[in-house]
Amino acid sequence: MNAMEKKTLRRLKWFFAWQDDQEEEWLRDMARKGWHLSALGLPGFYTFTHGEPQDVVYRLDFTTPKIDMDEYMQLFRDAGWEHLGSLAGWQYFRKPADVEGANQIYTDPESKIQRYRRLLGYLTLFLPIMIVLFTRIGDPSSVPFFSVMKLFSAVVLIFFAYAMVRILMRINQLRRR
Amino acid sequence: MPEDKQIQKYLPLTEATYYIMLALDEPLHGYGVMQKVKQTSEGMVDVGPGTLYGAFSTLQEGGLIRMVKKEDRRKVYALTSKGMQVLRGQIQRLQIMTKLGSDFLSRLG
Repeated sequence: MNAMEKKTLRRLKWFFAWQDDQEEEWLRDMARKGWHLSALGLPGFYTFTHGEPQDVVYRLDFTTPKIDMDEYMQLFRDAGWEHLGSLAGWQYFRKPADVEGANQIYTDPESKIQRYRRLLGYLTLFLPIMIVLFTRIGDPSSVPFFSVMKLFSAVVLIFFAYAMVRILMRINQLRRR
Repeated sequence: MPEDKQIQKYLPLTEATYYIMLALDEPLHGYGVMQKVKQTSEGMVDVGPGTLYGAFSTLQEGGLIRMVKKEDRRKVYALTSKGMQVLRGQIQRLQIMTKLGSDFLSRLG
């Protein structure tokens, strides 16, 4: 047990699935200021613990349930990455920038594209549910509650489609490199 | 011919996959592969764990490598004969490329 109580900071910040690079950069900036990510809460909730400012690289990976977690985690550990936690399929890793080895977990565009494809495949699984929800939710003319729900499901559906377009744009961007 | 198609569909290999497969001429686990690739590529290729995990899954699904044993949580892989054929196909491609390249250079004088 540490005698001195550690200073913690809770931050609420939202990143979309296609903004993983920005999220990584933000976490690195926080570490440079001495705030090190210590816990992941609900999506968008971050807890930081105060310590020495350090240049630490953060990387996010997206995994599907069919992954062999033991093998996967061992590979990252062996390569010098510390696993911080996972959130909705996203794995959070970090490594001090000066530790030997690549600062990337994906070292070529091909494999990075593969990762976005996994994410896209995962989102595609949910699309039919969204569409069914949208088409099945009551008749808007009947009760006000239903028209609110209809509007809500329309917003969700549009956002979903938008997310997929953004991820496809990321894939194209990587392909052009 | 159908057998040839089975091989051709994997070609060309990405640079990382090529080095990973070459490293597996002896049974190795992931970390061993990472180190060997860095060394054999003379520092030109670094394989990150995300890239390596993806390559292992794809190669194993295609039957180009197989797990030969498990050391704790580390899986040890080796090249299969199909993997060997794919590698041979890749090397042929590279030989044509380097031959063209050196012809080009010698023409320049």
